[in-house]
Amino acid sequence: MRLIFAVPNTALKSLALFTALICALLLSGCNAKQEHKVMKIGYMICNSEQETMDRFAPLTRYLSDKTGIEFEPVPVDTQDFEPRFKKGEFALTHGNSLLYVILRERYTLTLLAAEKRGRFGSRTGGAIIARKDSGITKLADIKGKRMVFGPMLAPTGYLAEYDLMLRSGIDPEKDLAYYAIPPGSFKHEKLIYAVLYGQFDVAAAPLLDLELMVKEGKISAEDFVILAQTPIIPYCTFGAAKDTDPKIVAKVRQALLELTPETTVEVGGERVKVLKTAWIDGFEELKDSDYNPIREMAKRVNMPPYATY
Amino acid sequence: MKIDAFDKLLWILLSVVLIALALLLWQGSHRSGASGKSVSDRAMERELTYQARVALVQKLYGPVEELRSKGELQSALLKLDELARLYPGEAHGYILQAEILQQLGLIETALTNYVAGIRLDGDYIDKKSPLSRREEISRFVAEAERSIGSRAAANPSNRTLAVARKDLNYLKSRLAGGCE
Repeated sequence: MRLIFAVPNTALKSLALFTALICALLLSGCNAKQEHKVMKIGYMICNSEQETMDRFAPLTRYLSDKTGIEFEPVPVDTQDFEPRFKKGEFALTHGNSLLYVILRERYTLTLLAAEKRGRFGSRTGGAIIARKDSGITKLADIKGKRMVFGPMLAPTGYLAEYDLMLRSGIDPEKDLAYYAIPPGSFKHEKLIYAVLYGQFDVAAAPLLDLELMVKEGKISAEDFVILAQTPIIPYCTFGAAKDTDPKIVAKVRQALLELTPETTVEVGGERVKVLKTAWIDGFEELKDSDYNPIREMAKRVNMPPYATY
Repeated sequence: MKIDAFDKLLWILLSVVLIALALLLWQGSHRSGASGKSVSDRAMERELTYQARVALVQKLYGPVEELRSKGELQSALLKLDELARLYPGEAHGYILQAEILQQLGLIETALTNYVAGIRLDGDYIDKKSPLSRREEISRFVAEAERSIGSRAAANPSNRTLAVARKDLNYLKSRLAGGCE
């Protein structure tokens, strides 16, 4: 007892100060955890939400591991992409090249990297196809025929073919018997099958889907005639909101470009190949001007972001 | 000198041995003649196999060439995809794909395909091979050098162009006689 009371006043003060410092440090740690920020990446849904999450969860984990920033994948319907981006629901974007152009023009989206898939790498095109035995042998023959397009915001399943037809003197609104867009998922595959099985006479088919379906043995190259082909334009693209920290932009871009087919990541207790799971061959650096052909197409077809009413 | 029965037996045995030896020698020389012929046979077999491969390749990829000659380049590419399913390791498919992509003005993807084809089969840059595309590939390399070289110099940090540059150097090295 005597000993305790014998402790000098300065020593007590030092002890109190030390305790206060420890508490402050612990509290600041708690605050840091509360302020820990998660960045969201909006992934355009191709077929279904589940499929999108399965494809991109490993890529998102890879980006988190590589950059030290916690990312979270958000599956986004194509039609909802712009309004949800506008609301700030996600800072990074992965969508088709037309969505990139729309977000670039309206919100100054920063270009990160373009996705490579198929024989044309980061680019692809569209084609107008018919069955080989249909008697349709040239583009002019499609007048008065039944045509099926891909979804309206698809650069190589709608925009490029619609533009090609207009440039060839065929107005899809006036010169076809009628045209339709298939419902539900796997729209591009559906329209190719729709021509193969005679439901429609002609289709606007992305070259990538034709290539993949032939490679997978789903269709034969000899079943179809390619009536016309669109220019080759950029494919799916990663972007970042304009107010994203430039250091984060640089880190994410570098991480994407460093991806190789051998890169793996652990997701749900399983080690998976990042690119293979995401159906991607790699990423490539493009310039914004590489997207100019899409801008020109959108202007001619009167589509966003240039549509006038 | 009297020759008894034992001597006769010895002479007979000696004759048998000599005849057997002669037979063995004759057979041996006949066999060595046969093996000499087999060396030339093997060379002939190799040549026949090679000619058969060339003929098969030309027959298999004939429809692709036909579509190309009609200007139906996309259909030709799809036909190549179909053939790649059946013959995935066939270099000819890569070479044809490279040529079509070059025709479409897609230099970098054409380059990737030329490299893949030549890595599989060096005959395409061998002057003496009936499959040789040496001149065409040399012209392509010069064209790619102009296209990729200037862009790579202007964008030194672009990894895609750096990879293309590496592929280009590989082709140049193979054309110069370098090995895989």
